[in-house]
Amino acid sequence: MPSGYPGLDRHLPGGGWPQHALTEILLEHYGAGELKLLMPALARLSQSDHDHDPESTGWLAWIAPPFQPYPPALVQWGVELSRVLIVRPRDAQEVLWAAEQALSSGNCAAVLLWSEVLSVAASRRLQLAAEKGGSWAIAFRPLSARSQSSAAALRILLSTGRDGTEFSILKNRGSRPATLRNILHGDAAS
Amino acid sequence: MSTADKPSAVLRAATPTPPAIKHAPEPRKPVQQSLALPVSEPAPLQALDVALTEHAGTLSRRMPVRAATKARLWLCIDLPALPLEALGKPQRSTARAVFAEEQGIRRVMLANEKATAAGIRVGLSVNAALSLLPDLQLEMRDMNEEKRALKRLACWAEQFTSFVCIESTTTLLLEIAGSLRLFEGMAALRRRITRGCDEQGFTAQLAIAPTPLASRWFARAGREVCIDDTVHLNRPLSALPLHCLDWPDAVIESLGGMGITCVGDCLRLPRAGFARRFGATHLLQLDRALGRLPDPRVSYRSAERFCALQDLDEEQDDRELLLQVCRQLLHELEQFLLSRQMQVQRVQFSFFHLRAATTHRVLRSVQAGRSAEHWFELLDIQFDRMVLPEAVISIRLRAEVGQLSSTATGRLLFDASTKPRDGSIACLVERLNARMGDACVRGVATVAEHRPQYAWHPVSVSDATPRRTVAMTCDNEQPLSLKLRRPLWMLKEPERLASEDSRPLYQGALTLLDGPERLESGWWDEDGIARDYFIALTVNGVHLWIYQDRSEKKVSWYLHGIFG
Repeated sequence: MPSGYPGLDRHLPGGGWPQHALTEILLEHYGAGELKLLMPALARLSQSDHDHDPESTGWLAWIAPPFQPYPPALVQWGVELSRVLIVRPRDAQEVLWAAEQALSSGNCAAVLLWSEVLSVAASRRLQLAAEKGGSWAIAFRPLSARSQSSAAALRILLSTGRDGTEFSILKNRGSRPATLRNILHGDAAS
Repeated sequence: MSTADKPSAVLRAATPTPPAIKHAPEPRKPVQQSLALPVSEPAPLQALDVALTEHAGTLSRRMPVRAATKARLWLCIDLPALPLEALGKPQRSTARAVFAEEQGIRRVMLANEKATAAGIRVGLSVNAALSLLPDLQLEMRDMNEEKRALKRLACWAEQFTSFVCIESTTTLLLEIAGSLRLFEGMAALRRRITRGCDEQGFTAQLAIAPTPLASRWFARAGREVCIDDTVHLNRPLSALPLHCLDWPDAVIESLGGMGITCVGDCLRLPRAGFARRFGATHLLQLDRALGRLPDPRVSYRSAERFCALQDLDEEQDDRELLLQVCRQLLHELEQFLLSRQMQVQRVQFSFFHLRAATTHRVLRSVQAGRSAEHWFELLDIQFDRMVLPEAVISIRLRAEVGQLSSTATGRLLFDASTKPRDGSIACLVERLNARMGDACVRGVATVAEHRPQYAWHPVSVSDATPRRTVAMTCDNEQPLSLKLRRPLWMLKEPERLASEDSRPLYQGALTLLDGPERLESGWWDEDGIARDYFIALTVNGVHLWIYQDRSEKKVSWYLHGIFG
């Protein structure tokens, strides 16, 4: 699944985001361009037509987002709003449970989850659920998780500075780690 | 009124009865308006003579059949051991007996196999029985419990036919003529019912006959016959002994004294004489059993709303066990709904404790359904987090009034690849709701509004509109020009920023990249805004959406969104 950023696609096996697998994005702070990175792919997923059951596929589940995902901006990016599901669990355990449910249901094209803590076992479970439901799991985690091992197929660390966002591919199943710069054209706000 | 109170109304058939009385409803009694023969006791002899001289001769002489035109078929379920079985699941290894009080003397009225083998007989006094078998488990007969058990069985039997009748305290009648095709014939249906009764712990004797009385008598006699036409009824019915006819002992005794021991013997007697000696009721019963006279029944109608209570033997706090009981109740609910072609969207479990207040749990389903396993899955999710103050003594399941289920057969023809219902997004939402509460899952939609905080609203997922229409409205009514950039992250409430020389600060000084975009709107509803929005860059390289509030005299900055 192409990410929409050719500079990134070149470094990903299969020329795009790994499907039916867990992708981890490590962040120092929110607003590092993490959503912008995903938006083209999410927009395509939400719009893709599944002839057999349009009501029950192609959903994007946002589990425990730190802020309110702003619908007008999502529309600007081409995300189909009627496929957006925002889930607000009450604790970290429920985040994991809800993510697993959403992933394995087969209804969600992508499941985004924000979690401070994610054990290796939990990441393994998410990976399995993503495989089972044919879904794409994206976990946003703090920088401190860098030293932890994870079952994710792809781990990207985002760090920002005055001169733009730096992408470090920490783990890349089927390809090599790399560091990329300036792959999001223009500034992060566009 | 009942016909028994007013024999004269029957006597003078030509005399018109006041219509109000004639049509007065008789809820419990079988409807008998079209009968020519009197049904009262004692028999009005004069009237009988008139009626009987028309058909002079022996009882067995064929009379014109005046029964309903549509052929009916009755399956009778007789439960000879109901008083014993209603008191709990039978344990074959212990000797059990039920006693009842008759004229101040407590006598055994029913004993199980083990007790019978030890010499406990019906009619034995309780003391004698106990001295015979000291470890006999003796229980008082509980008519209410029997009634409840019979009603439960009637509800269960409604899955086989729409017409179930509680015939007596231990028998059910099912009209099965219309059900035979669905259940693949009489034999298969009978096997199913026998197995079902057995699973519920009832010993049942089943008989099928074209008249209700005949089937009841066959079942009572333990003759498990399958007769589908009145033509073949005469011979097997003739062989029945009189004691299974529920006639008073005095009648049977005096008939026995005449050497008459079976139905066939009775049928050979002269009609008039028989009626005069033994009462017209018995004659009438014979005619009805043979199908010569119509014998209507009133169908049992169970409640439209499901409510079942399961008492536990002792206080129980083993969660696995409680879940099993709940599952059983849910299966009962499924049967109940299935027989009515109904579905429910909400059920309530109540867990009763001895001292603490009752714990209630409501389960909601996004789509109406009746599948017990589906409800059980929802309960299982909630049960994990449920706190029970103390052990549970009984569990009640109540459902709302059902809604008629709509079948989705239309899709069968046109959409072969339709996924099963349980693969829908509604199921996912329902599971999430069951564990985390109703407000945890939301969809979103945009609103045509300039004020950023009102430009969207949460929607419930179940009424999310199909994607095509939304895509259209978004394109046409998109309130914000596509050129205006909006942040992907929005703060719930704008956060006031510190400022230095009227320049905003956020983790250091901010650089304004773009703006201002002036938004002034909403003065009409007391929540008007007058703001200049800017895109600002922090020292960390994060893009923020901030605004300056123009309605305040002092320049103040607020953070409203983050470009993710």
